[in-house]
Amino acid sequence: MKRREFLGGLGVLSLGVEVGCGTGRIATHAQKTGELSPSVWVSVKRDGRVAIEVEKVEFGQGVTTMYSTLVAEELDLPIDHVDAHYADSADEFRTFTGMQLTGGSASTREGFLPMRRAAATCREMLVGAAAEQWNVPRSECRTDGGFVIHGEKKLAYGDLTVKAASQPVPGSPRLKPRAEFKLIGKQNRRTDLRAKIDGTAKFGADVNVPGMVRAWVVHGPTFGANATRVQADRAKALPGVLDVVTFPGGVAVVAEKTWQAIAGAKALEIDWDKGILGGLDTEKLRAAVRAHGKGGDTVRDEGNAEKAIARAATKLEAVYEGPYLCHAPMEPQNCTVHVRGDKVEVWAPNQSPSIIQGALGRALDVAPADVLVHTTLAGGGFGRRSGADFAVQAAHIAKRIGRPVQMTWSRESDMTQGFYRPFMVAKLRGGVGADGKIAGIDSQSFGQSIIASFLPSAKGALPLPQGMQPLLVDALRGLVGNDVVTDPSSTEGIHDTAYELANFQVAMTPIRTSLPVMFWRSVGHSFNGFVMESFVDELARAAKADPFAFRRAHLPAGSRAMRVLDAVAAAWNAPKAPGVGRGIARHTSFESEVAEVVDIEIVNGRIKVRKVHVAVDCGIVVNPDIVKAQMEGAVIYGLSAALDQEITLKDGVVQQTNFDSFPAIRMFECPEITVTILPSDEKPTGVGEPGLPPIGPAVANAIFDLTGKRLRRMPLQKELDR
Amino acid sequence: MKLDINGKPLEVAVPDDTPLLWVIRDEAGLTGTKFGCGRALCGACTVHVDGEARRSCVFPASDAVGKKVTTVEGLSENGMLSALQQAWLDENVPQCGYCQSGQLMSATALLAKKRAPTDAEIDAVMSANLCRCGTYPRIRAAIRRAVTSMVTEK
Repeated sequence: MKRREFLGGLGVLSLGVEVGCGTGRIATHAQKTGELSPSVWVSVKRDGRVAIEVEKVEFGQGVTTMYSTLVAEELDLPIDHVDAHYADSADEFRTFTGMQLTGGSASTREGFLPMRRAAATCREMLVGAAAEQWNVPRSECRTDGGFVIHGEKKLAYGDLTVKAASQPVPGSPRLKPRAEFKLIGKQNRRTDLRAKIDGTAKFGADVNVPGMVRAWVVHGPTFGANATRVQADRAKALPGVLDVVTFPGGVAVVAEKTWQAIAGAKALEIDWDKGILGGLDTEKLRAAVRAHGKGGDTVRDEGNAEKAIARAATKLEAVYEGPYLCHAPMEPQNCTVHVRGDKVEVWAPNQSPSIIQGALGRALDVAPADVLVHTTLAGGGFGRRSGADFAVQAAHIAKRIGRPVQMTWSRESDMTQGFYRPFMVAKLRGGVGADGKIAGIDSQSFGQSIIASFLPSAKGALPLPQGMQPLLVDALRGLVGNDVVTDPSSTEGIHDTAYELANFQVAMTPIRTSLPVMFWRSVGHSFNGFVMESFVDELARAAKADPFAFRRAHLPAGSRAMRVLDAVAAAWNAPKAPGVGRGIARHTSFESEVAEVVDIEIVNGRIKVRKVHVAVDCGIVVNPDIVKAQMEGAVIYGLSAALDQEITLKDGVVQQTNFDSFPAIRMFECPEITVTILPSDEKPTGVGEPGLPPIGPAVANAIFDLTGKRLRRMPLQKELDR
Repeated sequence: MKLDINGKPLEVAVPDDTPLLWVIRDEAGLTGTKFGCGRALCGACTVHVDGEARRSCVFPASDAVGKKVTTVEGLSENGMLSALQQAWLDENVPQCGYCQSGQLMSATALLAKKRAPTDAEIDAVMSANLCRCGTYPRIRAAIRRAVTSMVTEK
């Protein structure tokens, strides 16, 4: 990024533009290049096109279109005049808690104002330049279609860039009020699709660096195993094979071509040690957690749950369970690395260049700033690419080879190499009073802390393999505020429930294993939505109340949560055919509200989800069709997990290896999904994840509706079959 | 061996059992065809061999000798999108996009055989292709749209 050279001093956490004093450098840059570039984010080129930097990864969530829409809106441009570039790693792009990171359904939430400000800054400078040239008040000028216009006169943006660069940088440029939006909330096109339908889109696996060779990795049978003996003679004799590299946690065959590396990998004979899990067995882990008594850290304590439950007219106890889950994005983990002395260049489909910089800095003993990360398109991520384990492995291989190396994992490696959604158990007790209201809830959660995996001094901390531990330490220390924490993501969706509960206790007991865990689409909510929405449903049924009305009675009057629930009332009350079970669930996550009503049938023992009605309030919407797509996607992704998916381990060996043993919903089982987006004038909130938490409990509640069986353990199909 | 990929001849020296996928990606340099599972479970690598949808990750390159191989790059002619590709754009089908080459190749093979497939026929063929982003409802809609547009054109 050449622009960095003259545009220093941007606040690390601000997406904003450099204000005031930078005018000289902006003008100098414009004289050299012809570009108006008041910030790293938005540049107006001499041809009138506008270049923007996208510091997030595009992995289908639509950030490219979203940023382009915001910028086109404030610059009064057609959206196809905006050219998006995916930003390389750089300090000024560390916009998410001090990191360059895509996650937390935060892109629109956090980018909505700063990207518009960056564009509006350009607009005001362009208008100022035109007004000066025409000697008219700027208030009499308007902008449209890439021109500044005054009466009959107009000037193209491209002809104004150099003059505009000498204009003062506005401290707070005028942003369009909502009534003036032409694109935000209205335009439904995506700008990143053409390359994705003609084969030209470049994902991580498609990177081609001059001089590049390919590496295929073999991982051991038990998790985290190291090779103790490698017989590589046969592999090395094969055509194209250049080297066999043993590194912590694996062995790689490096060859000119991928097929040669794969052939080489098949010819290896390797002895492995026992790995790092000490024979971890998920069945034994389940039993231990189920037998574990009350305790843990109190996360929330309102009123007196114990007493209130004891006095309640109807009492209930339930234990819920969710398995380890792998993300299984369509593009297996891969990474291209070139190590040149103490400079490292990385091309990767990744969610955090900052984490890769930190990890490779440690792994290769170089300064993180000397690790330059190019972020490619990613074939899905869902949280998996927030880590850097794949980049560390590629870096070890590349350091040995000295040429650019593209490392690709098999699907089997992608599925068995950890960084899973944590296995979680929640034990709930509750009661309903004679008044039909929840008297109290006591929730005891057990699970592996994700943040603890990265914070050595946090509660539940554990030693991670392969130098993985330090990856997030520095970054997350700021996020959690102090060194001794209970991971808030372990109980999110329970402790911060929207339901009004006078007597409410939430506690969390960390589980310690050496199996690395990771953020998985909607993180703690992915399980805790199931817990709360199943238990509230159980309480409603026990109190002989309508599950919809019971939920509504416990939501704050006039709240967003209530409005969203009301938006699925028609689906809930619609006539139901015989043989159909109907379930409802609602959940707050990433500041958004989602409610879902599902209709299911059970055909030859198989749960068939027929219809899903989604209502969402995510504040102001930038692109309605992308919001709809994200709801559809989260429902389908969540349904795959809720019905069929689990990662289990036996004696340290992951039992699921590919899409046959870790199945995902396919078209023949895809339900009809309708999405209602509630109109809102509030600030934008999350979209990528909030559609997921309600789907599991809605299906479980529908199964109860149809069969009277209460399924409390995911995946639901397996539990139904038991 | 001599291959024909998108109408262009390609001579490569690879063992007979080399998966066609890697010949397409590494030797022909066509990266639209994706590696997803290596076991014909996900469909991301779907190409046509003499018009039939094949999972190139398990299809021996030598079996393609003397036949016509078509990849996603061969779907459009001189930048003119096929009816299905256009429908894919009109329905905003892709999210991450990684599986979409395979989806398009399966759908193209389906419509070559069935002018107006039933929902059950669409499901049967398209269920070979996984999508983790969850674009299935839009794929279904795009296939229906393409069927309609092709009928209108005739």
